[in-house]
Amino acid sequence: MKEPLIEFKDFTFRYKSQTEATLHDINLTIYKHQKVLILGASGSGKSTLAHCINGLIPFSFEGEIKGSCQVAGIETINASIFDLSKQVGTVLQDSDAQFVGLSVGEDIAFSLENENVLRKEMLTKVLDAATVVGMQDFLAAVPYRLSGGQKQKVSLAGVIHEDVQILLFDEPLASLDPAMGKTAIELIDDLHNLNHKTVIIIEHRLEDVLHRPIDRVILMDEGRIVADTTPDELLVSNLLSTYGIREPLYLSALKHAGCEVLASDGPCDVHTMNLSRFEEKLKAFKDRYVASVNKQYQQKLIEVNHVSFAYDKVNVLKNVTFDIYSGEKIAIIGKNGAGKSTMAKMLCGVIRPDQGFIHINASDYRQMTIKELGAMIGYVMQNPNQMLVKDIIKDEVGLALKLRKMTDEQIEERVNEVLKTCNLHAMRNWPVSAVSYGQRKRITIAAMLALKPTVILLDEPTAGQDYRHYTEILSFLEELHEKMNLTILFITHDMHLAIEYTDRAIVFADGECICDDQVYKVLSDPEIIERANLKQTSLYSLANRIGRSPEALIDQFITLERQGKR
Amino acid sequence: MKDKFLINVVPGDTFLHKLSGTTKVRLFVTLLIFITMSFDLRLILPVFILTLLGVISAKPNWKQVKLIMSVVLFFNLLNIFLFYVANPVVGEYWCGQLTIIGRLSDYFVFPVETFWYLFVRLIKMLTNFMVSLWFITTITPSEFAAGLYSLGVPYKVCTVVSLGFRYIPDIARDYENIKISMQLRGVEMDAKRTKISERLKQMVLILVPLIITSFDRVQTIANGMDLRGYGRHKKRTYYCEHEPTEADKIFQFFTLILFVFSIGYIISVNVWPPQTHMWCPIVWR
Repeated sequence: MKEPLIEFKDFTFRYKSQTEATLHDINLTIYKHQKVLILGASGSGKSTLAHCINGLIPFSFEGEIKGSCQVAGIETINASIFDLSKQVGTVLQDSDAQFVGLSVGEDIAFSLENENVLRKEMLTKVLDAATVVGMQDFLAAVPYRLSGGQKQKVSLAGVIHEDVQILLFDEPLASLDPAMGKTAIELIDDLHNLNHKTVIIIEHRLEDVLHRPIDRVILMDEGRIVADTTPDELLVSNLLSTYGIREPLYLSALKHAGCEVLASDGPCDVHTMNLSRFEEKLKAFKDRYVASVNKQYQQKLIEVNHVSFAYDKVNVLKNVTFDIYSGEKIAIIGKNGAGKSTMAKMLCGVIRPDQGFIHINASDYRQMTIKELGAMIGYVMQNPNQMLVKDIIKDEVGLALKLRKMTDEQIEERVNEVLKTCNLHAMRNWPVSAVSYGQRKRITIAAMLALKPTVILLDEPTAGQDYRHYTEILSFLEELHEKMNLTILFITHDMHLAIEYTDRAIVFADGECICDDQVYKVLSDPEIIERANLKQTSLYSLANRIGRSPEALIDQFITLERQGKR
Repeated sequence: MKDKFLINVVPGDTFLHKLSGTTKVRLFVTLLIFITMSFDLRLILPVFILTLLGVISAKPNWKQVKLIMSVVLFFNLLNIFLFYVANPVVGEYWCGQLTIIGRLSDYFVFPVETFWYLFVRLIKMLTNFMVSLWFITTITPSEFAAGLYSLGVPYKVCTVVSLGFRYIPDIARDYENIKISMQLRGVEMDAKRTKISERLKQMVLILVPLIITSFDRVQTIANGMDLRGYGRHKKRTYYCEHEPTEADKIFQFFTLILFVFSIGYIISVNVWPPQTHMWCPIVWR
């Protein structure tokens, strides 16, 4: 018997500050022990729906509610958030902000503290919860010493000891590197199977979530449910491209090969899906493969030579050597703490090598100030809010020029030029605070371009963005690359980005540069993937299943994808 | 990050560290009252010695302690000097007599009583510092919150304290990032190359995004806390507040006696009969 646990009936919600409703006519029933993925691009209303389930609406976000929403038999409009928190455990996207305790144990205990539980009982409950997520040996650890994945596990432990029935994950993959994301999905699945929780995952990264089985996918767009189906059905429909969700790579590859996948093939898992029907097509596909030719670059721009750097006597960079040529697009990849960001700071001159040297345009960069380097290498940080200081867009873009004492006419001219390149000219007099996150990102890029750098260095340019915005930003960069022959360095752990937009990958692990090669070669080397905390792409698994060399398949795929884009 | 602070987030493992938050906060408050109430060296000196031993036993980061100590010592000596300059015969008020053993001019005389008073004053201020230092080096912010709560402070106030400490490193990291981005755009932060007025202006430039990013975070933190039932009940318990050990009981008992003694002392000195004289063992004729 299916027992309904969450029931939305003709549910509509409008935030107090907005004129339009964010959710329209939601009718949705989620049953006990289901594992549901709520899928949708940013602004589709999926987070608002989650807030309705955990009670943040109407407790923290005021607004107008029509219709009914019942969670475990409680009508949420009348319930307090505290009653709901006994039914629904929520893991927020920002695990740093959810971590309020000063140690792992304290944070897990937070809800028990609020419930006035005696310390004696608390100790065993905390230990139990920590054991469920595998953090039992870290109870005394402080938040600054934990990785993003560990913090998320702590958040999860902090909400499960109320014996909640429902676990709600708000974008659990957003701040994790690929290997951690994989572990998170596995942990969620174990909780679903072993602890019999009803699980709701809010995400837009479909392929990563499908690493473990999902019962049901709810697709949302503009505040409405546009599909309520199984993953297999969803994958073979055209809903994904319509609503801006990325299709799993292996399915894109199969499409390139001309295979028409049906739901009955079981496409939601690359390891088990039925491929026997496509043997011929795959063989023809293989025969079409021509190895790609490496682009040759002539002019050496940056030379990093045996560079080491220690921070508080800990070696953060060890003997790193690589070259960057003018006009290249490079991905600098590796897990958090591998030394990527330190390398970026060093290229910008914020920190300088303890040993080794860096040459830029064949001259020693020790002679250059940060300000001078800033004009050559534009560093775009991950969070645009940390870079924007002026009220008006045009002033923001012109700030660096003003600080370099250029005349007003010169500034005006340069700013207009850059704003036009970045498609921001129409907004030049708008306040910075009035534009969206993606547009702010664009402003930060424009602010860097105003100095006419030869290299632009982007730290996680796609973090926190859905596929649509992601494509937008990256095509924009691609355009700049072509128009201005800009050299682009991406610091990222997004494998899709590396595959689609870069030629070469420099891989860091534990402060060492462990690999520097073509992207497809890097991604088909299991040892490198393991050491860098990356994840095998599904192309790799597909190649193994159809008996092709992963290197060749990934190479062929990249070539086809790029042709497709042009 | 944590190594930059004198305050430890991780509980230490010395005897004083292991006392519960309640014990430490109570002892701290009582000692402050005890030190403030008198100018009696017989009462102050033992506390000075004991807390000094306490600080040593807690094995703090001496590099930081030395720095703070030299600053504190400097300002206290300056304070004492200015006290003397302001009124070289202040000792008469405190000891009831004046024994002048030398003079520089008609104004700058050298009375023994003034020196005695200033000496006691210095020790008193240093003892206050030692009490604070002992307290700061042995308590974690969470224990502090739990201890305050045990004194009847509303827990929302206590949470502000511990939450503040939780997010200081995060804010410091944001600050660092924003500073870097500003430097790259051409804001000169080098102290040698820019005027102070310029640098102040640039600080303001950094503060704007810092405040905005911090405010963004506040909403999320608040949501996370609501979702875990914060503010539901009038009371709460503390995970870090362990059951009183033997040592805790002994210390709390001792604290109680000290507290009662202090209250008695304050009443006897100020109310019945009011006295202004301090204990002054040396009688000069």
